[in-house]
Amino acid sequence: MNWIGLWTLTSREVGRFFSVYRQTILPGLISSALYILIFGFTLQQRIAEINGVPYTLFILPGLIMMNTLTNASSNTASSMLQMKLLQQLPDILTAPLSSLEISLAYIIGGTVRGFVNGTLVLLLGVLLIGLPVSSPIFSLGYIFIVAWTFSSMGLLLGQLADSWDQLAMMQNFFLTPLSFLGGIFYSIKMLPEWAQVLSFFNPIYYMINGIRFTILGISDSPPIISFWMALTMALIFFFSAVALMKSGRKIKL
Amino acid sequence: MTTSAVKIQKLSKSYNGSEALSNVDITILDGQFFGLLGPNGAGKSTTINILTGLVRKDSGNIAVFGKDIEKEYRFTRSQIGTAQQELSIDWFFPIEKLLQYQAGYYGISPKNAKERIEELLNRLGLWKKRKSRLRQLSGGMKRRYQIAKALVHDPKIIILDEPTAGVDVELRHELWDYLRQLHQQGKTILLTTHYIEEAELLCEYVSIIHKGKVITEGAPKNLISQLGKAGITVHLTKWDDTLPALLQSYSYTQNNSQLHFTVKDAETEISKIISLISKNGCQIQRVETTKSSLEDVFLSLTGRGINE
Repeated sequence: MNWIGLWTLTSREVGRFFSVYRQTILPGLISSALYILIFGFTLQQRIAEINGVPYTLFILPGLIMMNTLTNASSNTASSMLQMKLLQQLPDILTAPLSSLEISLAYIIGGTVRGFVNGTLVLLLGVLLIGLPVSSPIFSLGYIFIVAWTFSSMGLLLGQLADSWDQLAMMQNFFLTPLSFLGGIFYSIKMLPEWAQVLSFFNPIYYMINGIRFTILGISDSPPIISFWMALTMALIFFFSAVALMKSGRKIKL
Repeated sequence: MTTSAVKIQKLSKSYNGSEALSNVDITILDGQFFGLLGPNGAGKSTTINILTGLVRKDSGNIAVFGKDIEKEYRFTRSQIGTAQQELSIDWFFPIEKLLQYQAGYYGISPKNAKERIEELLNRLGLWKKRKSRLRQLSGGMKRRYQIAKALVHDPKIIILDEPTAGVDVELRHELWDYLRQLHQQGKTILLTTHYIEEAELLCEYVSIIHKGKVITEGAPKNLISQLGKAGITVHLTKWDDTLPALLQSYSYTQNNSQLHFTVKDAETEISKIISLISKNGCQIQRVETTKSSLEDVFLSLTGRGINE
């Protein structure tokens, strides 16, 4: 292993998003605060408790997941595409770094951003509405696994995309609908049966319900299934991202 | 025996069915200043991109100091520093930090890279700009940064892909001086260029590449004397009818009292021609020479100029 190389590329990835924290950290916090204030406080009066939990508390684990996964995936996707378009990738591809080391550095960078964002929303919930966190270690573990999964997925998307337009399309038509349909704002028990069945095919459904269980102790899906689904997704996307990097598709002629 | 720094054997590459390189053989000796010369689109960049790992070959072998570039990529890549033709852009970090990152990719810690980075920034006139972002630098500075980046891990082989493209005359000469200095320090340099003057001035050995094939190779001087043609024009005070018999071994044209000789090597032939003419009592008013160049070599091999 080229440990110094791995550390360098990783710290570059982390340094990159911290240097533009107004774009990469603050927006997630602000939008989550708005969701809590607008959706939570206005709708809470009209929506009955879900599974015995007030609506504002119910949506918070979903908001944490949404922040984690959008930040993790957009970090790797935009960094990879940017390096490709701005001719920075040759510096990395001609260096004595393996495909695994390059992939790991990007994925760790995206995971850190996802984890920081997810954890900040969790803290926001605790401070703003007194969110009770029943198993904080497991909650943080979940945030980490989800950040890792979507960071890996973002790397895949970034390597395959040829333009910002294509990348935006993948995010807007695929990632955002899946996360909204994963049950951030509702329990799937509120859906018609056919829609409930469809939700079982959405991996984000398990992630949202998994973290909801670690925070609030309630979940639509059995916690053990949620956990294994999240872990399986993390491994599938990670190994796919490494394999794609090794193949050199779209980055080596 | 001098070892080879880079040995390329039977290298071929096609892009979507169109052949970019065909059976290219190139050997660069350790410490040599080597030029890969050819017009735009000849296959120069493809060759070096395969060598550095940016493009995958279809067939053939490349070894760097005897080691395969794919099987032992960690070793071979650490021996090479590349200044790409395309200038990269980064808007997040100052150039000093970017050089530190670049050294890190090669396994050099910031502490160990510090001195080298300072030395390069000073040598390339970038010290005052070390805290600037790349976009704040002029075109010439960006080019110099590109060279600093190639040298930051102190590689034995330096590859420069069209280093003086779009660079003003002053900077071009500065860069040439610097490259000569690096060569004197024992570095192996591979330079791709379509500037004839650059290759003639700097390179000890050149390969001329055209349409993906190496069409000739050798020391520029030898290539010119073998394949180039020079001109010598002699202006006489008056024409003498006995001259044709004396000059019959030369190819020349006559226009009144002016003789124009076509020779392989003007430097050796000029004194012979002058002594033949003066031996006969003819008075020479003045002599002009036109020097042969690699451009003529390229022209005689391909039927067109290198920049046409």
